Amino acid sequence: MTQLFRNSLPHENVTSAPLLPVPLSIERNWLHDLESRLDKGGPWGDWRLSRLAVQGEQSGLVTSFDELQCMKHLNGLSPLPHQLDTAHKVLFQMSGRAILADEVGLGKTIEAGLVLKEYLVRGLVSKVLILVPASLVLQWVRELNAKFGISAVAQKKAYSWGNDIVVASMDTAKRDPHKEMLLSQEYDMLIIDEAHKLKNKKSTNYLFVQQLRKKYCLLLTATPVQNDLGELFNLITLLKPGQLGNQGDFATNFVVDKRQPKNEVQLRGELSKVMIRNRRGEGPVNFTKRKVRNIPLTLSAEEKELYDGVTAFVKDQYQEAGGNLSSMLSLVTLQREVCSSRDAVFVTLVNLIKKLPADSPKRERMMGLLQTIRTVKTNTKAEKTMELIQQMNEKVIVFTEYRATQEYLLQYFREHGLQCVTYSGGMNRGKKDWMMDLFRGRAQVMIATEAGGEGINLQFCHHMINFDLPWNPMRVEQRIGRVHRLGQENDVVIYNLSTEGTIEEHILHLLHEKINMFEMVIGGLDVILERFEKKESLEKSLYKIVLEARTDEELRSSLDDIGDTLSELTHADLDESEVAP
Amino acid sequence: MLSPVEVRKQVMDYLEATECTILESSPVHVTVKLSPRADRMLTDRPYYWGFVERTGVDPETLSFSFVFDPQKYDELAAQAAAQAARPRSGGASRPAAADALPGQAGAAADAEAGAELGAAQAAAPGGALPPGVSAAPEDSILARYFGVVPALPRIGPGMIRREDVTYGSRRLRQIWSAARDEGKCLQLFEDPGLRQRTTLFSAAYEPWLAVCYKVEMTCDLKREELHFIAVSLTSGLIVPDFEARLASKELTPRLPENIHVQPSELGIKDGADRLEGYLTSKLALLDYTWAEEARQRLELELSIVDIYYAELLKEEDEEKRLSIEEQYNRRRQETSWQYEPQIAVSAVTYGLFHLRST
Repeated sequence: MTQLFRNSLPHENVTSAPLLPVPLSIERNWLHDLESRLDKGGPWGDWRLSRLAVQGEQSGLVTSFDELQCMKHLNGLSPLPHQLDTAHKVLFQMSGRAILADEVGLGKTIEAGLVLKEYLVRGLVSKVLILVPASLVLQWVRELNAKFGISAVAQKKAYSWGNDIVVASMDTAKRDPHKEMLLSQEYDMLIIDEAHKLKNKKSTNYLFVQQLRKKYCLLLTATPVQNDLGELFNLITLLKPGQLGNQGDFATNFVVDKRQPKNEVQLRGELSKVMIRNRRGEGPVNFTKRKVRNIPLTLSAEEKELYDGVTAFVKDQYQEAGGNLSSMLSLVTLQREVCSSRDAVFVTLVNLIKKLPADSPKRERMMGLLQTIRTVKTNTKAEKTMELIQQMNEKVIVFTEYRATQEYLLQYFREHGLQCVTYSGGMNRGKKDWMMDLFRGRAQVMIATEAGGEGINLQFCHHMINFDLPWNPMRVEQRIGRVHRLGQENDVVIYNLSTEGTIEEHILHLLHEKINMFEMVIGGLDVILERFEKKESLEKSLYKIVLEARTDEELRSSLDDIGDTLSELTHADLDESEVAP
Repeated sequence: MLSPVEVRKQVMDYLEATECTILESSPVHVTVKLSPRADRMLTDRPYYWGFVERTGVDPETLSFSFVFDPQKYDELAAQAAAQAARPRSGGASRPAAADALPGQAGAAADAEAGAELGAAQAAAPGGALPPGVSAAPEDSILARYFGVVPALPRIGPGMIRREDVTYGSRRLRQIWSAARDEGKCLQLFEDPGLRQRTTLFSAAYEPWLAVCYKVEMTCDLKREELHFIAVSLTSGLIVPDFEARLASKELTPRLPENIHVQPSELGIKDGADRLEGYLTSKLALLDYTWAEEARQRLELELSIVDIYYAELLKEEDEEKRLSIEEQYNRRRQETSWQYEPQIAVSAVTYGLFHLRST
């Protein structure tokens, strides 16, 4: 297994024996070693060790050109069939240059790891550069080490580049002085995660990657075709210039307008030579079902009073500010928090008051709201959640948007004898891991404020409660993605708490009825959103509607409009996504 | 692919050859205190060894539990732990540290480590687990946080670190490469046996130059072969599969009594030339379809690149054209690098073998 030989860019003086149809190079350093030891009379090697070395070589010998070797070297990893297929294709059909474009959650990292391991085992690759978003660097290092036994290191200091297998963030790598250093190297393999960031051929990222010298290359992205086909063309050009002809050919052969391809069959054929896209719901990967339970709740009289008070206050403020949205963000937050817990409202309200000038007329009104908060003694949602958890009597993850609610729930559950842990974005990696271990081991409940970011994999749990809902569907999807992923063996039950007669009810209606987001696994959700948000972010549109609606009726109809637009886009995407193989 | 039994055999060979002290051994594991020699090769502590050399203190080598069949080992350990825990069940039970407020996590971690140690000690009377053996590194939160770097408390004299050594594991690769470092260059004599010492005539020995060649046939894919061949430095005779001839013989590094080595007709370098000539002629007989196919792939890829850049190279602007040209050349080079078929031959082990003439 010792790396005896590494081929590099071809040089002029390769010694070629006339007998062979292939250039042959014979390494002769051993001869000098032997001669010098004969001169000095030793030292001589141990025969047992020598035999051991040969046995080691023998057992790791790559005896066949076309058979995956890496599985022999991997313990405790059982890749799924589509992942092995992918690795096989990349090696034997694509010669190591490919776009891995599986939909989210199908394990692109595993596929890349398998390909890398295979090349390492074959001794075709020793110098590797892996460029990923900064937040994923450690995760990649961990996975490569733990799952694949690949000694990857995270780039921290300049000298880290000297290591054989380096994981670094794209942003660091493309800057001087790193850039110069990297461009002077030859990389046997380059892997880029989140490669859709390379779609613009004028960007520094793109130019940088184009200049890197690389033998094999993997580009990982879940969304290869985001907005227009030109971007896909750019991505492929980075990998294999000319694969789709030059820009002009491509435009005449395959493009009707930006988003609409022609000669689809041919295009698909060409794409399949450089791109592999496994989809959820097809092939051997069976995801378990998502079951959705919407739990309507009625607020207690005190809670209702608080809700109405806050809503009225927020609307008045908006009118006063003349419909300027940007200054209203904290008020919208207030409006959303009031659906979560009084604790959350309290914190925000106090902070708002602190910022006011001492003589502000708003002050009195806000103090009034604080008084109302004081009257609220119970939390209907928390009680219901408690009841749900006790009924299911299994592990469950509770999501909330607010730290204050999280803390309140922690207290509340503890008082009722539940073992629970918290999880939030501000925790460092070690603590996150620790919390996850505790949850896996002995706690019944995890209360989380963060679902995005890296690596919370909670396949061992199949209940989740949305204590409150984010207004951004991507965040909802991320939440669900924590438990509903590869390795989940049970159907996932999703509980949505919504209080009647509040804005929450409408949002839930929008997400559930209109884009059916809980039950359908929407691979292309990000694509749909990106299209919708060409004008304005969905969250912002929602804010506006909420603040501007004078009556409940008006609110409902505006939200319905948005819902209709979204569901149209969803269907449009389903049709269009047929293009990609 | 090697079975746990085969892996065990190889690791034990290494440990014996490097004179390590075996503390405990079973079919599924071995607990060993490394010899200074093995420690230098395996533990990656150049600073420590530098310190030992400069100060002359007695070196304190590390101990490991190498586990060859983790599943079986864990089963045995669990049984033993269950037996041991019965009389004193309080000792091993974990503190109910489900509380997880910020700031308490650290304390809880300590408690956890304590519990782990406690459990290990409790298990000791059971016999399967030696004292101080900590759980598998991937289980520990610290190991996960620090990645592959061993967390500090787990290493050092007195602590025995558990390590799973299976086929494909880092440690096994390291052992092989350490074995190659120390065993690649040989000078050996056939042991003539006791009778030779008392016979009247000295036995004639023939010097052989033997090399275990690794042949790597590379294009965008790869295949490898090993060739252990030798040439007699007296007769020039070449023996393929030299290992088979050595298998039946006892070899010793010391020059035996009452023998004489025949003078060489060939120098070492001549021998090497002959071996290479022989190997080359052997390789010439192989099937080269793979290279043919690789060349076809290369041609195809190059033509794609050529067509793509032909258009771009019509660029009027001098500066732009130069940069495109540079890009073009780079891409062509990369493509050749990726597909160009070639064969590389290197030596894994090599040396002189003095065998009794026949």
